[in-house]
Amino acid sequence: MFLAMKELMHSKMRFLMIVIIFVLIAWLVFILSGLGNGLSTLAASTFKNMKADYVVFEQGSQSSMSKSLLSEHLVAEAERLQNVRAASPMGSTMATALKGQSTKNEDKVDIAIIGINPGSFLEPAIVEGKGLSSGHPTDVIANVTMKDDGFRLGDTFQLDGSTESLTIIGFVENQTYNHVAVVFTPMAEWRKITFAAPGSDKGVADPVNAIMLQGKDIDPSTINSKLSSTDTVTRAAAVQGMPGYKEENGSIMMMLAFLLAISAFVLGVFFYVITMQKTSQFGIMKAIGASSGFLSKAIISQVFVLSLTSIVVGILLTYGTAAIMPKGMPFKLDTGLVVNYSVILLIIAVLSSLVSVRKIMKIDPLKALGRVE
Amino acid sequence: MTKGLRISGVSQHFAEGSNRITALDQVSITVEPGEFVAVVGPSGSGKSTFLSIAGALLKASEGDVQLNGQNMSKLSARELSNIRLQEIGFIMQSSNLVPYLNVLDQLLIVKKMSGKVKGEDKAFAFKLLEELGLGSKLKSFPEELSGGEKQRTAIARALINNPNVILADEPTASLDTKRAHEVVSLIAHEVKSRRKAAIMVTHDERMLEYCDKVYRMEDGKLSLHTANEEAHEAQLTDGIV
Repeated sequence: MFLAMKELMHSKMRFLMIVIIFVLIAWLVFILSGLGNGLSTLAASTFKNMKADYVVFEQGSQSSMSKSLLSEHLVAEAERLQNVRAASPMGSTMATALKGQSTKNEDKVDIAIIGINPGSFLEPAIVEGKGLSSGHPTDVIANVTMKDDGFRLGDTFQLDGSTESLTIIGFVENQTYNHVAVVFTPMAEWRKITFAAPGSDKGVADPVNAIMLQGKDIDPSTINSKLSSTDTVTRAAAVQGMPGYKEENGSIMMMLAFLLAISAFVLGVFFYVITMQKTSQFGIMKAIGASSGFLSKAIISQVFVLSLTSIVVGILLTYGTAAIMPKGMPFKLDTGLVVNYSVILLIIAVLSSLVSVRKIMKIDPLKALGRVE
Repeated sequence: MTKGLRISGVSQHFAEGSNRITALDQVSITVEPGEFVAVVGPSGSGKSTFLSIAGALLKASEGDVQLNGQNMSKLSARELSNIRLQEIGFIMQSSNLVPYLNVLDQLLIVKKMSGKVKGEDKAFAFKLLEELGLGSKLKSFPEELSGGEKQRTAIARALINNPNVILADEPTASLDTKRAHEVVSLIAHEVKSRRKAAIMVTHDERMLEYCDKVYRMEDGKLSLHTANEEAHEAQLTDGIV
C-alpha cells in the first residue's frame, strides 16, 4: 500500500488519465443498468410488485396474459389445492383514455386496464383517495403518473372505442404494465370493456386472463394436474412471458455484458502497460530483496484504490445525471443494482491486474541490473 | 559460525548455442568482516556473474557460497530473496533508485519489504542519511539529486537493513573524479566502521587505494593481484584494467 500510494501521489497525471477512463466506463455501466432497470420496471412493475408467487395460465399460452383465457370458477378450485394460501383472478387489456371530447394529441393517453377483485391481495396500496369497491364498478384506481397527463382525483374519462367511462377515485404508485400506466378496475367492469364484442370470450364463463396464487411451497405440476388445461409458472417466468420483455431486457443486458468485457480488456491492458514500464524498477527492488508478493500487493492495492475512486465518482455522476434527466425517462437506479455493478467492476479491475501480477512474478532481478554477461 | 563471505570453488557455465561457455572457473575468495575488496578485470571476464552469485541473484553451477556460515546453494528462491533483503546490501552502477520515492522513503521501503517500519528504523535511517551528508535532502526525489547524492542514497539504502555483506557494482560509473572519490571513501568508511564484508567490482583504477585487497578477474579466473598497502602503488604502476 505504501509503495502504491507513493506512486499515485507522484505520478498524478498518469493515474488521473486512467481514472478518467475508468470513471467513464463506470458511468456508462451505471446509466445503462439504470436504463435497463427503468425499462423493465415500466414494462412489468405491476407484475413485479404483485404479492403473488405463482401464476396459472391457460395451457399453451406461453406464459402470456394476452394469450390466456381461463374461467373464474377455477379460483375456488385452486384455493383448495395443497400449499396454496390464496388465489385471485386477474385480467389485462390495453386501452386509450380520452380526456373529455378533446381531439388534441396530449389528451389521449395509453393505459393498461387490469381487472382484479376489489379487496384481494392483488389490489395495491392506495397513496391518495380510496380503494376499489364491487358496488361501484366504474370507480377505478390509477397509477400516479396519470397526474402528469392531467388526470385528477374524481375525474371521469372515456375509453377510446368503447362506451364505458371510468372515474378515478384513488391513485397508486409504481404500477406500470407494457410501458404504460395501469388503471385497476373491478373484474366485472374489466370484462365489460374487454369482451364487448360478442364471442370474444370464446364461450368461457366469467373469463379472466390468469389466476395469481400465493404460497411459497406451491408445486406447479400439482396445480397443472388438478386444474384441467392450465399451465402454472413462477411470477418471474410470467414477467419473462410478457410480449417484448425478454427482447428488450436481453438487448440491454447484452450491451452491459459487452461493456464489462471491453472494460476488463481496456483496464487490463492499461495496467499491463504501466507495469511493463516499471519492469526494471521492479527488478531492482527484487534484487535488493523485495518478494514477488510484496510487489504484487503494491500493484493490486494500487488498482483497488484507482478502481474504488473511479467507481465512487462514477456513481456520483450517475446520480447527478439521474437528477437532471427528463421526468418521463425510464431510468431507475436502486441501491442493490448500483452495489452489484460496483462490485462487478471492482472484481473485473482487480482480475485484469492479475496479468500484470503474473508479469511481476516472472521479472528476473538479474536482468534488471542490466549487466548479464 | 564464520562471519563474512566465503566462496569456494565456484564455477558457472552458460549454454550459448551448442557451445558451453564457462563464465566462472573455480573461483574462490574469502572476505572477512571489515574487509573491503576490489575485483577488477576487462568486460566479459565474468565480474558480473561473480557478483550475481555472491549476491544470491544467481545459483552457481558448482561450488559453495557461504554467507555467515550459511550455505546458499541449497536455498529456495524465496529464501534467497530474503537473504538479499536481510544480509546483502547492493550498491548498483547507476544507483537505481525508485523514481517516486523521496530519499527517506528509499530507505524505509526496504524496511517495508520485511514488515512494519518501527520508530527505531526511522531513527537509523535519519542517522545513516545524516552520516552520508544527506540530512537536508530527506524529502528530495531522485530527479532532484546530483549523481553523487543518488549514489550516497544508494549506499544508505544498502546499509539500512544492517547486512553483513556489501556488494558494489561499478558504483562510480557515472561520476566525475571528485564525486567518485567521495562515494568510494564513504563506502570504505562505512565498511570499516560497521564491520561489513564488502566487494566492489570496478573498472576505475582511481578507486583501488581505498581497498584492502585487489583481485583480478580474467576469463573467469580470479587471482589476488595486490594486497593492503601495495594497493596504493598498484594504481601508479599500470597493469590493472
